[in-house]
Amino acid sequence: MTAVVEEDVSLVRDAWRRLRANRLAVVGLCYIVLLVVVAVAGPWISPYDFLSQDVTMRSAPPSLVHWMGTDQLGRDVLSRVIYGARTALIVAVVVTGISLAIGIVLGAIAGYVGGRLDAFIMWLTDVTMSVPSLLLVIVINTSLKPPLQRWLDELFLATKNPIFRDTMWLDFVLVFGAMTLILWPPYARLVRGQILSIRNRNYVTAARALGLPARTIVRRYIVLNAIGPVIVAVSAGLGAAMVLESAFSFLGIGVTLPTPSWGNMISDGLRVWRNAPHLLAAPAIVLGLATIAFSFLGDGLNDALNPRQKHR
Amino acid sequence: MLLFVARRVLVWIPSLLLILFVVYALAFYGAGDPIKLIFLKAPGDVAYNEARIEAVREAAGLDRPFIAQFASYVGNLLQGDWGNSLITGQPVWRTIAAAAPVSGQLGLATIILTTLIAIPLGVIAALNQNGKLDYITLGAALAVGAIPPYVVGPILMVSLILLLPPGSIPYGWGGIFDVRVILPLLVLCMAPVSIIVRQTRAAVIEVMNDDFIRTARAKGLPERIVVLRHMMRPVLTPVVTQLGIIMISLVNGAIFVELVFGLPGLGRLAVQSTVDNDYPVILAVTLIGAALVMLSNLVVDLAYPLLDPRAHAARSDR
Repeated sequence: MTAVVEEDVSLVRDAWRRLRANRLAVVGLCYIVLLVVVAVAGPWISPYDFLSQDVTMRSAPPSLVHWMGTDQLGRDVLSRVIYGARTALIVAVVVTGISLAIGIVLGAIAGYVGGRLDAFIMWLTDVTMSVPSLLLVIVINTSLKPPLQRWLDELFLATKNPIFRDTMWLDFVLVFGAMTLILWPPYARLVRGQILSIRNRNYVTAARALGLPARTIVRRYIVLNAIGPVIVAVSAGLGAAMVLESAFSFLGIGVTLPTPSWGNMISDGLRVWRNAPHLLAAPAIVLGLATIAFSFLGDGLNDALNPRQKHR
Repeated sequence: MLLFVARRVLVWIPSLLLILFVVYALAFYGAGDPIKLIFLKAPGDVAYNEARIEAVREAAGLDRPFIAQFASYVGNLLQGDWGNSLITGQPVWRTIAAAAPVSGQLGLATIILTTLIAIPLGVIAALNQNGKLDYITLGAALAVGAIPPYVVGPILMVSLILLLPPGSIPYGWGGIFDVRVILPLLVLCMAPVSIIVRQTRAAVIEVMNDDFIRTARAKGLPERIVVLRHMMRPVLTPVVTQLGIIMISLVNGAIFVELVFGLPGLGRLAVQSTVDNDYPVILAVTLIGAALVMLSNLVVDLAYPLLDPRAHAARSDR
């Protein structure tokens, strides 16, 4: 704990070395990187347009032409899975980002200010975490979508601006909002706990005694030491957000057809499961592997970033 | 202790009120006009008879301002009156009373089954740490936890339909001891089993090298006693803490499982009532779900000091 800047570099390098030694975590990381690459490069690498239909090939099993087969409308499943990865990753990243931001701000306030405000914020997290998430989202979606839709229609009639005509992004906004509402409390609690436990450590007291400005103390000592568990939580949170998104699209709330999402592909595939099992298998396997990959990576990151709790 | 219980219960009430308020507001401002919906469904050309619609609205007290309606709803709730369903006209508590036992029995059976499966598996995995058995158990737990219930349920059901003679399709409800309950129960168990196996394994590994375990071994106790008596107690603590999370996964799982397997429980009621915009029922189901999760958190808080006396001191810091 002598030279702070060096400590930073070696922390990252150290963690990376430990992470690489963990085979499962590396496998998980590779799969996630693959997903990200596929999602970003989607329009260039997907063999077909995700909407174009080949009427001569309906529900065709996997072949050399269509690697994952085609669906009931003759659309290429691989392309839809690739675009589904885009949907899943966009939702996961945006939702985790917003929830994390809210969590950090509220958690930091709760941890620093303490007192009544702390109690109130913690109460809010308690309440939010005790509402069954699916119920809450169902309620939000069914009650907010129709009025928003009406409002958009009115806006379109008033302004003739085509932005208000296309309601595809309304799904995204509702999904983002509802999921953020569910997902921010764990981050807030985590950040608050980290701050409370680090605030009174000896090296922080020492830094304060040295007369360092509060800004420097926060940046060098508190953030650096608090970041480990937060990274672990984000890794797990990304996986959870992906599953949640697919659950909503499965129920027909959230991202709706024709936007490909693994969830609505699964619910589509279930209807023709017996005749065309690949329609269910492809999105289900990709999604299942993604959640496993995120939890492997999360475990690996936990071991790598928090070497003190070795046995966890 | 009693004071602690009382304080926790007192915190409960405003939390439930907040949830109730938010859901009520969402339903009040967001959902379509319930009276109009009823009229649209009615036979004949009554949907555009404004005078009649207003009369019914007034009779139902739905023309008053939001706060007044909310206050009277809460007041009625306190007297055990959950309001009437807008669709069937039946008292909501009767609908709930019909659905709750199904979900309740399923949930209870799931918790028991989960405990019986997951804790032994977790202990076995930990005792064989990094061995073959450990990898198999852990891998299976991860896989089982990763597959969403809405994928497993239908696949299991379809494969059973292919295997079984027609006429014995596992669809519907016939009590908790019916054969048809096996599949939904298995699917419901998956997520909690996955959580508890991993939690138990981690807890056992953490405790395994503690001094008191070594002492127990050193004084010649048989391995069985060491595991059951000395290890299990500290291991149970982190497992019990998961109860709230498990409750949430149960409620969420129930929504899918009851839909897929056609069980007349609270989960299906929740989806049905949102489709119908039947907001007295939506409110009741949401309230019950939230109350259940909060109740299990309360149980965790109360059980914690019993399992781990050290937590008693730590708790007063909060």
